[in-house]
Amino acid sequence: MATSTIGERATTIDVRRKRFSETYIGEWITTTDHKQLGLMYLITGFFFFVVGGMEALLIRTQLALPNGKVLDPDTYNQIFTMHGTTMIFLFVIPVLSGFGNYIVPLMIGARDMAYPRMNAFGFWLLLFGGIFMQSSFLFGQAPNGGWFMYAPLSELAAGHAFQATPHMNADFWLLGTTLLGISSITGSLNFVVTVFKLRAPGMSINRMPLFTWMILVMSFLLLFALPSLTVASVLLLLDRHMGAHFYQYGSGGDPLLWQHLFWSFGHPEVYILILPAFGIVSEILPVFSRKPIFGYTFIAWSGVAIGFLSFTVWAHHMFAVGLPSIAQAFFATSTTLIAIPTAVKIFNWLATIWGGKIRFNAPMLFALGFIAMFLIGGLNGAALAVVPFDYQITDSYFVVAHIHYVLFGGTALAVFAGIYYWFPKFTGKLMDDRLAKWHFWVTFIGLNLTFFPMHLMGILGMPRRVYTYPANLGWNDLNAMASVGAFIIGVGVILFMINIIKSLKAGQAAGDDPWDAYTLEWDTTSPPKKYNFLEIPVVRSRRPFYDKKYPDIADWKNVIKH
Amino acid sequence: MSVAHGEQVRVLEEEHGQVGERSLNWWGMVFFIASEALIFANLIAAYLYLEIRNNNDIWQLPHSNLFLPLLNTAILLGSSVSVHFAGTGIRKGNVRQLIIGLSVTIFLGACFLVGLAYEWTSLIADEHFSISSSIFGSAFFTLTGFHGLHVTIGAIFLAVCLVRATKGHFSKQQHFAVQAAEMYWHFVDVVWLFVVTLVYFVPLFR
Repeated sequence: MATSTIGERATTIDVRRKRFSETYIGEWITTTDHKQLGLMYLITGFFFFVVGGMEALLIRTQLALPNGKVLDPDTYNQIFTMHGTTMIFLFVIPVLSGFGNYIVPLMIGARDMAYPRMNAFGFWLLLFGGIFMQSSFLFGQAPNGGWFMYAPLSELAAGHAFQATPHMNADFWLLGTTLLGISSITGSLNFVVTVFKLRAPGMSINRMPLFTWMILVMSFLLLFALPSLTVASVLLLLDRHMGAHFYQYGSGGDPLLWQHLFWSFGHPEVYILILPAFGIVSEILPVFSRKPIFGYTFIAWSGVAIGFLSFTVWAHHMFAVGLPSIAQAFFATSTTLIAIPTAVKIFNWLATIWGGKIRFNAPMLFALGFIAMFLIGGLNGAALAVVPFDYQITDSYFVVAHIHYVLFGGTALAVFAGIYYWFPKFTGKLMDDRLAKWHFWVTFIGLNLTFFPMHLMGILGMPRRVYTYPANLGWNDLNAMASVGAFIIGVGVILFMINIIKSLKAGQAAGDDPWDAYTLEWDTTSPPKKYNFLEIPVVRSRRPFYDKKYPDIADWKNVIKH
Repeated sequence: MSVAHGEQVRVLEEEHGQVGERSLNWWGMVFFIASEALIFANLIAAYLYLEIRNNNDIWQLPHSNLFLPLLNTAILLGSSVSVHFAGTGIRKGNVRQLIIGLSVTIFLGACFLVGLAYEWTSLIADEHFSISSSIFGSAFFTLTGFHGLHVTIGAIFLAVCLVRATKGHFSKQQHFAVQAAEMYWHFVDVVWLFVVTLVYFVPLFR
């Protein structure tokens, strides 16, 4: 170092070969840029969405007709377990963190996340964790205990001479979710510190875009809920391989401990999966109604309230296990309480579009579809909080209908809304709106055809996770409908993929701000430069970009007038 | 690609003065430790749940010799003092004090682990009390083992800091790794106080 001169160094730079990190592939592999990582999260999540979707189609094919013989029972168990696990851990969480990674720093006027390298670490851990889990199919030993992997069925032996899960199936799940958990912890640490410490000057907590709010609440939930899953998994691994007895009743352990630990992660998890979707919708509705969001403070703080309440409701998944009635009353009450902040949000969204100049572009259609479908999911969820009703339909297809209205009708529609909304920002190209509307209606019809009949199947007594059913129980027509609907959803996904490819190849140029939007991410080029903003913007209201575009009627002037 | 993102963040901090006294990394470490604390909270909750639900087994170690756990507690509390000594050193720019403090802390951490290992082996070999002998055995070895694992991680963390300190990586201005290791070590010590109370002392009062 000491002997080299500046002149020497200059010549070596001129002639040297490209470093690996400067080639096209190398740049993606070594990047720490939040936008590239965000896109990689989105692509990875969507890849696993297709994997999980195929698993769903296999399930529906098997169940389309009574006495189906498409899959054998053990494979069926593996397929439905991996469908749930893939969709929750490998589709929804990565896609939502992808949006968060890409959008949050732009929205708050930052140049990157707080810890760019840890961000990259989190992504690669997610990718390899996902591959690790799916690779279990190669060994014919995919997890087969359901996505909540109840002990003692997931033990090596549940008692004397009773083999429960003697092979590696459960180990793949336990180690895989632990890896994905570490990835999520790094991601959420990053979000929390980014949002707290790197907001542009003037962007107080009360001026943060609602998507950022919801990502913040989601990150806190992940930070404080995931440890329960980690502990539950470690204890089960110790049971399986070190001879401990945590979940073995015969040796003084308690299988219910698994359920308590799992659901004290699992229920916050449900809100982890839905809150960012709330955020996406809260961004799209005002832009496409040409109005500011109605009741900003209520939407933001009801999200926080949901976050707190979500830690107090876990045992509503366990009403049928024989909890003391005082505990059942407590958990029924706390679960019903969550309906209040959720309804606050729905009414605020309706008030936002009320009297607005609505533009029915694809993002808006999906956002409206989200409200309708999520409302159904919320209502049948509140029904499940009623303990006597829950006794009747717990572990039936009614529960399957509920979770799919929330996670497919809710989160997945919001994810599509977000992709249609931000795709111009990601790529600089507009998506084909006509094809997108086809996608919406096909998906909307498909999802209702698939999941609505499941309510009835549940009430008629069809248990979830059954491998097949006899023909004389009155479930045949409903199952056939659901299977047809599943394939219609599949067509919708194909339309979506065609639209993505078509728009990438030949989409219209979008310009920097195709939707005449309000928040700072649209104040950058499309796609944004590496450094995001040439100058860090200064924020004076909740709609900083609107202020900049319409200085005469800027929001902050109105605020002063009041 | 070559733009250092840390540099961007630093510019943002300095130009707009938003970060205050605590560095970004400090905040990250706080939330990381909070999440770690939740792991122990869950373990302890599981431990107490099993203790309350349990009605067959004796919820107690086969011996009531408290010498070793008390010695280990003293060692760990002492190491908290020495790691604080190390941190104070580098905050004043005194690398010698840092190296001495870190070395003493790592030594005390190693002593703690040896003590734990000695107790485990004597329990397993002499008392035939193991992770699979009863539900209390499972809970005992898991809780102390998890804590021992965290002590090991903390000691590795400190050892990396020690190596870097001897290479002159740290100065009065730049020593976040030391600060993080110090925070982590204090956290591990506080956890031990909960563990030792629950595992060794509470059963005596029943």
